[in-house]
Amino acid sequence: MNTQMAAVIKKDIKSITSNKRMFTTLLIVPVVLTIFLPSVFILILYFVPEEGEELLELLETLPLSMQSGTFLQNIIWLILNFLLPGFFLMIPIMASSVMSATSFVGEKEKRTLETLLYCPLSLKQIFRSKVIASFLISMIVSGISFGAMLIVVETLSYYLAGGFVFPDMKWFFILFLIAPAVSLIAITLIVRMSAKAQSVEDAQQGAVFLLIPVLFLIIGQFTGLFLISTWLLLVIGALCSLAAAFLLRTSMNHFQYETLLKN
Amino acid sequence: MNAITLTELSKTYPNGKKAVDSVNISLSPGEVFGFLGPNGAGKTTTVKLLGGMLTPTHGSCSVFAINPAKEPEKAHALCGVVTEHAQMYDSLTGIQNLIFYGSVYGLSSSESQKRGLELLNQLELSDAKDQKLSAYSTGMRQRLSLARALIHQPEILFLDEPTSGLDPESAQNVHNMIRHLARENGITVFLCTHQLRYAQEICTRYGLMEKGCLLAEGTLEQLRAKVCSGMTMKIKATNIPKELSRHLNSEGILEIPVQSEEEVPKTARRIIESGGNIYHISTKIPSLEDIYFHLTDRKEKTDEHTNGRCH
Repeated sequence: MNTQMAAVIKKDIKSITSNKRMFTTLLIVPVVLTIFLPSVFILILYFVPEEGEELLELLETLPLSMQSGTFLQNIIWLILNFLLPGFFLMIPIMASSVMSATSFVGEKEKRTLETLLYCPLSLKQIFRSKVIASFLISMIVSGISFGAMLIVVETLSYYLAGGFVFPDMKWFFILFLIAPAVSLIAITLIVRMSAKAQSVEDAQQGAVFLLIPVLFLIIGQFTGLFLISTWLLLVIGALCSLAAAFLLRTSMNHFQYETLLKN
Repeated sequence: MNAITLTELSKTYPNGKKAVDSVNISLSPGEVFGFLGPNGAGKTTTVKLLGGMLTPTHGSCSVFAINPAKEPEKAHALCGVVTEHAQMYDSLTGIQNLIFYGSVYGLSSSESQKRGLELLNQLELSDAKDQKLSAYSTGMRQRLSLARALIHQPEILFLDEPTSGLDPESAQNVHNMIRHLARENGITVFLCTHQLRYAQEICTRYGLMEKGCLLAEGTLEQLRAKVCSGMTMKIKATNIPKELSRHLNSEGILEIPVQSEEEVPKTARRIIESGGNIYHISTKIPSLEDIYFHLTDRKEKTDEHTNGRCH
């Protein structure tokens, strides 16, 4: 990466952090999913203990090696390691969609793309810079969200359940395999749509269907249809990485001067 | 080496519209070339082809022997482009925009800032340098676009209607700057405009376009010689001799085509000798506008025979 590409990346990141409306859109979902939602789950369990009976049955169905903690601690452990991963995965999808839509389609909409295309950067370099900027924002937002979620869960667990609960290996795969892969998939889908989309909103809507498998994952956890295991996540992560690599390679074909400047 | 070469350059869009049809032009470094014609003549398409944004359907073009369709980034390093559609970032200030584009053109941050401030000063935008672009007027944006195109000291400047939206004073400043850039820095300027009067003030050569065809090309003198040589003499007089009365126009003024200024005193003498009084005499050399309209009229007539093809 040269200094010219670094300038484009820096400008793209700055353009979203300095745009209040976009920055709020970028922050609101992580705040709801990583601070509000876990707090509500844990507080409900703490203040409405009569529902504990059903949850106890759920706990008994699991091969629990962490049954040593209090009942509430075990439930919080379940929430952290089975329910929250599904919700968390929405964050990289959403963050990368917002960022890449602004970066690719927003520039086209505001007619700044043509100016950038006249600069002495190859199309590949412009494409890479924009993908890197969107990817970095997505990873930073996901990382901060994970940290915030952990602080909220641990604080509530410590004060309400009497001890800490720890994230298991699943989170490692989510943070370092699935989140980066789904971010790249979302970015490449936006790039593909950037030729046809006339506005940032158009492009963002196109990435919405990526949330469907994530919703399926969440519903699976709530209904007990299936439970996410470390192995399942590893397989999902590997498949998503392959899909991301393929899409990244092919989406460059959609990034051509004539297609980009077509109104 | 030619600064710009267009060889049988043609572009047909996927919808079948032939925007540029077999255009041949070659420009030497330092020339200010006026690429003139109405909207839809193919001027912007030609700039896009020279900037590598479009690929020719036939023929080729080059800037300093670089084919922009094959090596666009190399061509871009030598060129500065100002077009109506190439905007800058509203969320950044004037100077921040110039620093960003300077960095993209490979200048260091301090170099970009120094050069940016110089250009803002030259284009009378120093007072607005820290204002966000969203607060800029159309004219200010246009001048900032020119500063952006000049940030890396290009060898060729492509200007597509650079003075549209500017007040006459700002337009004059931009023209003076273009003239100065060509004269002092040897920059080749490819100026697309439909404002023929402004073009005549600053260009050294012209290409007249209509419906994708290059109607004529050359210096003003060459165009005059090709299209309508000579000048027109206008005389307001009384008692006009019979042999001259066929030149009277509807306002009662004599309009006589002449080949040289020598004919002026001869004609005046004939009127006076026949007892007439002369109130006003003037001669008019064909302007770029006259040449252009003459050419378009001629094209319309020949189009009927050639089915609209360039010839």
